Parts: sequence; structure tokens; C-alpha cells
Amino acid sequence: MTARTFKTSETVDFVVVGSGASGGVMARELSRAGHSVVVMEQGPRLGPGDFEHDELKYFFLSGITNDPVKHPQTFRNDPSKRAVSLPDANALIYARIVGGSSNHFTANFWRFHEIDFHERTVLGSIAGTGFADWPITYQELEPYYTKVEWDVGVSGLAGASPFDPVRSKPYPMPPLPVKSSGVLFERGARKVGLHPFPAPMAINSQVHNGRPGCIHCGFCMGFGCEVQAKSSSLYTMIPDAEATGRCEIRSESYVFRIAMNDQGRATGVHYFDRDKREQMQKARAVVVCANGAETPRLLLNSSTERFKHGLANSSGYVGKFLMFNQGGDTHATFEHELNEYKSVQVSRILHDFYDTDPKRGFYGGGGIDARIGPQPGGWALAEGPGVPTWGDEYKARLESFSRSMLCAGHTTSLAVESNNVSLDPELKDAWGIPAIRTTYKDHPDDLSIARFLQDRAVEILDAAGAKKIWKANVAESSFAVHLLGTCRMGNDPKTSVIDKYHRTHDVKNLFLCDGSSFVTSGRGQPTMTIEALAFRAADHISQFAKRNEI
Amino acid sequence: MSSRRSFLSGTAQLMSASWLALNWPAIAAAAHHADDAPDTPLTFKTFNAAEAADIDAIASQIIPSGATPGAHEAHVVYFIDQAFATFFSGRAKEYHHGLNTFQQSFRSGHAGGTFAAAARADQIAYLKTIDSGAFFQTTRLLTVLGLVASPKYGGNYQKLGWKIMGFDDQHAFQPPFGFYDRDYPGFVGYGTKERA
Repeated sequence: MTARTFKTSETVDFVVVGSGASGGVMARELSRAGHSVVVMEQGPRLGPGDFEHDELKYFFLSGITNDPVKHPQTFRNDPSKRAVSLPDANALIYARIVGGSSNHFTANFWRFHEIDFHERTVLGSIAGTGFADWPITYQELEPYYTKVEWDVGVSGLAGASPFDPVRSKPYPMPPLPVKSSGVLFERGARKVGLHPFPAPMAINSQVHNGRPGCIHCGFCMGFGCEVQAKSSSLYTMIPDAEATGRCEIRSESYVFRIAMNDQGRATGVHYFDRDKREQMQKARAVVVCANGAETPRLLLNSSTERFKHGLANSSGYVGKFLMFNQGGDTHATFEHELNEYKSVQVSRILHDFYDTDPKRGFYGGGGIDARIGPQPGGWALAEGPGVPTWGDEYKARLESFSRSMLCAGHTTSLAVESNNVSLDPELKDAWGIPAIRTTYKDHPDDLSIARFLQDRAVEILDAAGAKKIWKANVAESSFAVHLLGTCRMGNDPKTSVIDKYHRTHDVKNLFLCDGSSFVTSGRGQPTMTIEALAFRAADHISQFAKRNEI
Repeated sequence: MSSRRSFLSGTAQLMSASWLALNWPAIAAAAHHADDAPDTPLTFKTFNAAEAADIDAIASQIIPSGATPGAHEAHVVYFIDQAFATFFSGRAKEYHHGLNTFQQSFRSGHAGGTFAAAARADQIAYLKTIDSGAFFQTTRLLTVLGLVASPKYGGNYQKLGWKIMGFDDQHAFQPPFGFYDRDYPGFVGYGTKERA
């Protein structure tokens, strides 16, 4: 396919910064609506033949992720301390290729529930936090969740969970086949009175929209799909956008500043091309979909005389209220083989503990799923349950790999202002742009709910007949892949960065849509909601453009 | 992604991913070379014979041979040698210093004998005195990686590491995947909401 290209001097309707979960949707929807679009992506464009089953490369060598050499970051858990760069891995990890983190995500695609959008009203305020309602409701987002399921592609069984929110349409594909971990989880959970159900996954269980069904190779989490069964933007939204003849995906193009004129309007973006030469793409409007780390960084790096503290930051909240999603693992071994390394990571989950229960004494809720976690290399290096890290006992642990599984908790993170992304005052990346500085310390309730779900997982695994069960330590977060809340949505310009249509309160033709838009963290698995928000935002943004309201 | 978290936290102190990232092209080249020449003679590029014997002996205590193969049969020592010859070369000097210190201190406490020639019980007892140190930790990390990383990196000979773990290196599978999903009767719902 010869995709459309644009000259930098041509003023396109929209520049979309980022080609991942939200950027892909935005590109497709805006170009389908008749607008010209250039999508800027930091990383290269890879195809399915470029991905491989190589744990050393993907987990140690930043195979497709932002690596700590070229894109270094700093981290601290105490705002009064100097942030230090981590020697081995960045704190905020995302895939830096066309399609972004939608390439390497695990593909758990739960919808948020109604409660996620108005939980503050139900529960009241929480001291020391920025806990707030969203300015939109689940009902407003529901049609767009359906669009994600059908247009992007999600497998699942509608209504299988008694706790599911209302929906207008069933899933387009049946659930993926159950795994041994799913059978055991379901058996144990039902015995203790819970309601496990088939996991909704953004992975084809059968041919859908011209893409094949999953071949169950097992390398989803952390890897790009080699057969295009995973519903990544790379395989779904981006080809659709290019097919309109109105969209260019410009890879290896690293946007470092939003161009502004004296009237306070965005005029395009400044970026480095693949040869590190500075370029400027002109546009009538800019939509930043760069993720919850890079979006605030770009705004903070785009300050002008008029916007001294960063673009669209009159509230002071750009970069603030960073949320990660907590969660704890509970491991088990069984008598017979599960072979969890085969097929998609998760086949059964439950939402019985989704809602906050004030009787527990802390805020939060979440889901539990059944899986193995990493493939053999990662598993071999992870800590065992009081097992030595070498010798006969260690080898016996290695030999238990095929008989092992875990229950992973996926839980809330409270919005805390001192948890944030800012520009490091000293460190710069390989392009000379200030590095991301992350300040993060989990709210105590975030750790409490993670541990609470571990105790429930122990009960489930015990009821399932596990031979051995142990809980991994729930520790303070030191890194994350869910990057949420840093340019929050709200009706009040004093306490939020974007309005309910994703337009920045301060710059009329600048929009933001990605994990940064979140007001609360949900219960893990944010990408489904990021994409639903992008479908909704694109609808409104296109209408604004057509009505000349940008 | 909590498993990814435990993976990273389990290894973060031990190996500089950033350093490795810088050297990825060399790793890729080495891997390519390995693919081209699977029958490359087993010679050492960075270790002398005595050093290789000691590393092999340490690796063999980290993942012992027995009823099933261990680090020795999986050619872990060749993976480690290859690592220091290529993608880990920036750390070769530091590692050699650690290795030589290890050899000297072992000899001084064992009447001049080498670690490789010592009895298994003596080897284990000695390793327990140093297993929190950087030299052992790096050796342990590389031993595990040499066991389970792709064979193209020089270890995991004949996929023995994967075989120990029961990992079948294929690119496609069909259900049933394990013992417990063989006779699954199908999902039964809880009431009225299910819709196909």
C-alpha cells in the first residue's frame, strides 16, 4: 500500500502525536471523517515478521521499549529528595514503535464499570488525595466501548460476569479457549462462592476484520504479535487510517515541542526526524496521544512567554496525579501440568471485589485473574517462595514451571498530587530534551487493597487444590506500565487540564487523549478505556472541526 | 503487569539493562553468527582453561546436573564466555577481577586446590559464604540466562534449559494446553445476563 504523505510546509488538519492505543484510534477516526492527518511516532515501524520470541531481547535489552540509555528517566519516592536515574530500567515503560504499547500489552480488555466514573460522589472525599468524579458517565462512553470491541476486536462472553456494566451489544467473538489456570481458578472461585468468567481479551479467537485467530504461541505480554491476532493499533486502526488516503504515519519522528503563535494557538509540532534534524509540521490542530508520561512531558517542554509553566498548565496540574494501578501476585503449584506458557496470558478473571467496600477499612477494589506471568526466562529469574536462588532446591523450582500458575490482582491507585511526572532539572535524553522525572509513592490504601486481593487469591487457589501457595511481596511501586491521570479531565479549568471533550482548557486547538486523561485509575487494564475515550474524543473533535469551532 | 514487575525487580540489581541495550547490536551480531555456524568449535574466548573449569563448576552448583541435565550440559559456561566476548565485554575486566579474587581466596583456604577440583560438599559450603556478593550474583544471573535464553546466544544447548523447565519451544499450540483443561465441560453462567 502506498500511503499518503504530506510535506511539513503543508498545513494538515490534524497532527496526532503518538500512534499507540489512542493515537491509532484518533488517526483512523479523524481521517475517516474526511480530515488530513499526520501521525508522529517516536519509534520505528515494525511488522509482524520483525517480532520474535526472545526474552533476553525484549525484557533486558529494551527490544521495543523506551530504553534507559537513549531515553533515560529519573525516579524518587520522596518529593524532598533528588531523583536518581535507575541503572537498569526506566520507571515509566512504554513501547516506542508504531502502534505503541498496544503492541506489547497483555490485551486484558475489561470495560470500566459505572462506579468508576462517579465513585467520589458515592464514597465522599478522601483526605490527602485528588479523588474526584469524571465529567462523563459510563453511559456516555458505552457506545464507544462497543466500538472498541467490534472495530478493534475483543473476544469475550457478554454478561458472563454478574458485575458487568450494561452493554448495547455482545462481543464480536467468543472467548479464547480456557487454559488449565482458568479451569482451576474457576473451580476454586466457584467453591468459595465467587463468580469467575471468561476474560475479555483484545486478541482474536477467530478470524475477525480480516485478521487471523490466535495460534496460542503464548508470547503476548511484552511481545509484539507475530500473526496479527492481537488487536494492536499497528494491525487494526493504522491500516484503516492509511486506507483513507488522508493519513500519514511518520515513524522515527520525535515531537519535542508544540509550536505556538502569539495568539496562543498551536500551529503544529517541532520534531526530530530519523537523522536527528529538527523539523516542523504545520497543522490546524494538535492532538497529543503520547501516553501518560510523554504527554505531560511534551506540554511541560512546550512552555512559552505566555505559558511559562508549560502549555495548557494554568491549573498547575499537568503531570500531577500520576496513577499506576497496584496489584499483587499469588503463586501456586499443582500436581499435574498446566503448561501456562501456551496461549494468551489470561483466560478467567473475576470482579467480585471490584467495588470499594467501606467495611474493609480502606478505599479500593479490583479484579483477580489466572495466568502464569512471564515466559520461562522471566519465571526462572523471579523469586521463589523462600526457595534458595541456586542449588538443588532452585533447580526443583525450575522443574515446577509447567505445574505452576499465579493469580494476579489488578487494583486501584488513588490520585495523589505529589505523585507526578515533571522535567528532570539536570538529566537530558540523547536528543538533548529534559528527561522524565517521576515522583511516586503508593497511597497506603493502594497497598491494602492489593494485599486484600492476595488473601482472596489464596482462598481460591486452596479451594482449587493447589499443592503449594505463596504470596509475592506487595512492595512500593518503583516502575509502571499503566501511566494514568497526568492531564486529568474535568469541568473546572482550575482543577483539570482538559474538558470533557479532551480539549485543553487553555489552548483552543490543542487536544489530549490517552491515559493522562483519566480522573481515577480504574481497576487495572486501562487500555480498553483509553481506546473508548479516543473514539469518543475523535467524534467530538471532528464535529468541532466541521463546525469551525477549533 | 505485576509479573513483569517481579521479573524486573528480580533482576534489576544484577544486570545493567542499559549497558546491555548499548551493546544490543553486538549481541544481535553474535546471535546471527551463532545461527550461521551452529557447529562452531567449543573454545573459550575470554577464559583460560582453569577459569572456564571454575565457572563451569560454579554454574554446576547453581543448576546441578543429576537425574536431569544441568548448567554443565546446557553449555552455560560457553554462554557466559560468549557474553563477555561480545555483549558483556564492558564488564569482562571487572568480572575477571572478581573471578581471580574468588580463585585466590578459595585456594588459600583449601591447601592450594582449585574450586573445580574440590568435592561437591566443599564447593557448596564455600559458595554459601559468598553467594550474596557481586561476583556470585553476576555468575548466577548469567547462569540462569545461559540456561533459558534462546540457544542463539550460545547456551541452552539443544534447548536443555527449556526441557528442564518443561517449556516446549513451538510457535503454535492447540487446546487442551495442560492436564486440567482437557475435560472442561464449558462455561456455565450465573443467571440471566449471558448472551453469546
